[in-house]
Amino acid sequence: MSWSRVTAIAGRIVRQFRHDRRTVALIIVVPLAVMALIGYLVGDSGKEPLPVAVVNLDEGGTSPVGTVNLGEVFVRSLRDQDSIEVRAFETGPGAEEAVRDGEVAGAIELPSDLSARLAAGEGVELTVAVTGTNPSLTGPVVGAVQTALRETAASIPGGEGAATGGVRIRTVSLEGVPGLTTIDYYAPVLVAVFTFFFTFLLTSVSFLRERASGTLDRLMASPVSRLDVELGYLLGFLGFAMLQTLIVLGYATFVLHVEIAGPLWLVLLVLVLLVIGSVNLGIPLSFYARNELQVVQFIPLVLLPQIFLGGLVWPVETLWTPLRWLSQAFPLTHATAILRDVMLAGAGLADVWPRLVALVAFDVATVALGVVVLRRQRA
Amino acid sequence: MITTTQANEAAIDARGLIMSFGSFHALDGLDLSVRRGEILGLVGPNGAGKTTFIRVVAGLLRPSGGQIHVLGGRPGVQVATRIGYMPQTPALYDDLPVVDNLVFFARLFGLSREQARRRADEIVDIVALGPKARTLVRDLSGGMRQLASLGCSMVHDPKLLLLDEPTVGIDPVLRLDLWQHFADLNADGTTIVLTTHVIPEAERCDRIAMIGSGRVIALGTGDELRERAGRQNLDEAYIALRDAAPREGER
Repeated sequence: MSWSRVTAIAGRIVRQFRHDRRTVALIIVVPLAVMALIGYLVGDSGKEPLPVAVVNLDEGGTSPVGTVNLGEVFVRSLRDQDSIEVRAFETGPGAEEAVRDGEVAGAIELPSDLSARLAAGEGVELTVAVTGTNPSLTGPVVGAVQTALRETAASIPGGEGAATGGVRIRTVSLEGVPGLTTIDYYAPVLVAVFTFFFTFLLTSVSFLRERASGTLDRLMASPVSRLDVELGYLLGFLGFAMLQTLIVLGYATFVLHVEIAGPLWLVLLVLVLLVIGSVNLGIPLSFYARNELQVVQFIPLVLLPQIFLGGLVWPVETLWTPLRWLSQAFPLTHATAILRDVMLAGAGLADVWPRLVALVAFDVATVALGVVVLRRQRA
Repeated sequence: MITTTQANEAAIDARGLIMSFGSFHALDGLDLSVRRGEILGLVGPNGAGKTTFIRVVAGLLRPSGGQIHVLGGRPGVQVATRIGYMPQTPALYDDLPVVDNLVFFARLFGLSREQARRRADEIVDIVALGPKARTLVRDLSGGMRQLASLGCSMVHDPKLLLLDEPTVGIDPVLRLDLWQHFADLNADGTTIVLTTHVIPEAERCDRIAMIGSGRVIALGTGDELRERAGRQNLDEAYIALRDAAPREGER
């Protein structure tokens, strides 16, 4: 081993980076942006509260020290939590309707004998109704209920902790088909993310090569229009991208036994729209990359905000309002929401068309962006 | 039908052409008129502005100032059908056979699939790549790539051929072949503008435009330029004429 040669190679790499400021900037910016986003998402501050329907039917009860209404204590405790916005409902069916309509993330019904049973040290079952198609909403609701229960139990005079031992939380899914497993919940996310990711990678690197090899100059010196180039790329890559997509979807369906409750054509339509947007996004973005290294670094910049803010893992509903608006511009937000509704809850075109329109709008916008960027390649 | 005015019109007419990149002027008031049917060589050192001029003519760069007419029109999609452009690097699809590259570019210029195939077969014979027609471009030697690249630029039978450093990195035998191709094309009526930084090579052109600092320093036949400079060879003539050219602010 020659130490001087090793240092020569290492020194050359460092010097190359000094002339590639964009890569250095990405090296610094990408992890900062990613960690800031995660810090925000898992932290408590700066979030909008999640609306939850509460039906308090508790009539109160008598304890050794007098009458208590533990239902009120529970609701107060829930109200005190920053992550939850309590919406009072009169009846259970009304609250469940609000869950189905997406107005609230969950519905909790407190039975009329809640105080009486808890005071008597008897068991109680609390029902938490959720949509069942979006696990990112279920967790925060159940967590808040557990916290409120602990505080309620602590308020029982002389009965701290003991009383909640008899309380069971039962989660009821209102929309999902019965028997959903973790892989069912995450299959729509995986299918959407991989479709977008593979296609974006394929086109952005190909287009970069077109530019770097000089063939784009030849193209632009011919009478070809910019829209011809865009559409030609789209058509050329659509087949390969859809093949990849079908492999992911097929594997999920046949090997992982993920159910598709709704119409298959709607699932495929969503994926085609996603592929179109992804191909078209790859073209303009490849213009801002000088080499393959930079293209690869664009991937987290393009993909991670969509995964983090698009409701794939964390709920869109609790995002700071400007971030929530931003998330509506992401194709993955809409694609995942549609796929969840269609695959898990059997939704049809009538239920998801506004999000389909959003996907089409994204596709049109990326084609337009590509045409604008291609203008710089021609006088 | 070609009217008299069209026939007399210059193939390229550039007046006071300016191309700025930030504060750098790659073209700095370039005046040049290229006659129809001639072979014009643009010579000068690297960075003189030759490639920038070619790219403006090809419609790839919009000049920052001045005027340019190409084949009677503004550079762009309308005149692009009559222009052939060969970039400096052999801009080809490496993972396609030679003939597929030719067919592709022919179709971009509006030939039907069938016409494009026929034309591609003709071109591989013209540029003597017949035996390599089905070979992937990445498996060709550097010289053969250059021939394939030339083929792609002339696949639509252009009236004006722009060749950016067509002979760079080519062995002497192939270089002679290339010049023969240029002469043949020119004999068929094609106007050719080519750049080279190997100045004596430009001797084969009808006229030579010496370019320096984004301007035309001198224009004429090889003999005229040598005589004007009072030098024996074109390299020395270039330097003498460049040094004699008016400097910035003296014009």
